[in-house]
Amino acid sequence: MDRRDFLRTCGSLLAGGAILATGGLLTTKSKGKSGDVFWQIDPFACTQCGRCETDCVLPVSAVKCFHANKVCGYCDLCGGYYRPSVKDLNTAAENLMCPTGAITRKFVEEPYFEYTIDESLCNGCGKCVKGCTSFGNGSLFLQIQQDLCQQCNECKIARVCPSDAIKRVSYDEAYKLKDHA
Amino acid sequence: MVLALQSLGGIAEARFPKPDFTSGYQYPDIFHGVPYEQLWNILDIILLVGMMGAVVWAAYKKRSRAVIYSTSIISVLYFGFFRSGCVCSVGSIQNVILALADPTYHLPWYVLLIFILPILFALLFGRVFCSGVCPLGALQELINVRNFRLSRAVSATLSLIPWIYLAFTIIYAATRSQFLICRFDPFVGIFRLGGDMGMIGFGIALLILSLFIGRPFCQFLCPYGALLSVFSALSWKKLEITKKDCINCALCDKSCPVDAIRQPQQSKAKETRSAGVKRIILFAVLLPVFTFLGAVLLGQNSDALSRAHKDVYLYELLMEQQAHPDIEEPLEVETFNALGGNVEELKEKVDDIQHQYSLYAHLAGALIGFVIGFKLLKLSLKRSRKTYEIDSARCTMCGKCFNYCPQNLKK
Repeated sequence: MDRRDFLRTCGSLLAGGAILATGGLLTTKSKGKSGDVFWQIDPFACTQCGRCETDCVLPVSAVKCFHANKVCGYCDLCGGYYRPSVKDLNTAAENLMCPTGAITRKFVEEPYFEYTIDESLCNGCGKCVKGCTSFGNGSLFLQIQQDLCQQCNECKIARVCPSDAIKRVSYDEAYKLKDHA
Repeated sequence: MVLALQSLGGIAEARFPKPDFTSGYQYPDIFHGVPYEQLWNILDIILLVGMMGAVVWAAYKKRSRAVIYSTSIISVLYFGFFRSGCVCSVGSIQNVILALADPTYHLPWYVLLIFILPILFALLFGRVFCSGVCPLGALQELINVRNFRLSRAVSATLSLIPWIYLAFTIIYAATRSQFLICRFDPFVGIFRLGGDMGMIGFGIALLILSLFIGRPFCQFLCPYGALLSVFSALSWKKLEITKKDCINCALCDKSCPVDAIRQPQQSKAKETRSAGVKRIILFAVLLPVFTFLGAVLLGQNSDALSRAHKDVYLYELLMEQQAHPDIEEPLEVETFNALGGNVEELKEKVDDIQHQYSLYAHLAGALIGFVIGFKLLKLSLKRSRKTYEIDSARCTMCGKCFNYCPQNLKK
């Protein structure tokens, strides 16, 4: 074996050792957990700044408004449905909070209304969430719709989120729902 | 506004009691879809290994470009357009760095495999992954028509960029500031048919360039390619242009898109052994000096670099706000104040982050210095070759030279 071969063999062994060491170290670190996979918003940290609507890589954000019916007060004068300065409680666009008309409501019984989000219309702006959190029970909240999310290795919204509400979660907790809280 | 600020604390107090329905109203069941991510990840890994295996077979046994070309197409379609480019091996560097630097981050198993398998294959067979498995490389490979050569000096200088890129990636990933590679990925927008227009423009420019120069991204930008080239240089098996005798026709050299074929050379004026040894000792002494200089130079600028971190940026915005209270509050400052943030606590956090930055900036600087020193050392080693040979560090195993070699065509 000449000098070149010797050096090369040493180098190969070193490189192989490095792979084994890194692999082994990382395996022990990630053992027993399914890992931080999905991106998700912590609804209790979210401040509804509106960046979810504008900063997602998708043309229409993967962030959608979710509704926890079990938290909702079913009010007629809903802070998420109507704008704060509303004069008449009707469905004229200038009275409604949602800019895309994604929130609909259905009369249940006096004096309760059931609110439903049409996720195909929702753009994740969080205006209704702000209204509901400020004046209501906070049953409306923003979540990343995992069917739509592209699972970017670094969430573009997370990078600009002012309250650090977007974190990675594991497979088992893909959503942080308010009903279960 | 006051109400809004109070509620920002995040506690969902029930301002209105739960309605007691008398009409037998049932709460609607709501189902939120979760993709079968784990299943897809298993398929990703199977395809990754399968395609790398196919490339090894095609390059070493079958010696055919056709198979490599087909895996390239599959890779662009599946890993690129279908799986929309995330997470890829290039980007997984950052997840691995983060997992090593930050124990609170749990590295998913498949990201670890996506990172380590191509490296393992590189150590065994060379840059198999680059060949026809990486969607970024495959996309450039598929549209390449001509090879205009850059001069050796230019391409040697440009090939430092991936290492510098890798060094900065380490700083930013280890401190949880941002994932540089993902942010400046020129092709992900093309695969997703939408995204940041600036990066898509850059990607299209790179693709136009790759019509005339083989794989500009892989050669002059890709940090994972730089990493693989180290392991490939030390690989167990080495690819040969032909199994028969080389007739020095130079056709393979002309066909190579990434300038990975070294011409035969004979040192004209043979230098004395002692002069050669002296030069090598000089460079060997210079190597630690370069490393040290790099560490010091980049380490000194760590505070400036740390501005890329959210909290440091926020702290600077806060300080500026205090200095000029009349300017409009940025959203970050507004949120910080609304959440009742404590400036002293933030300052402590910022100090901690800057401390980390200092550590990783020194490390990254040392890496850059070492690479520059090592490249110089390598330039000074002149080997004489009698025939055309593949430089396994650069070779991306496209298989073009096989078909160009007249010896291979002989029956």
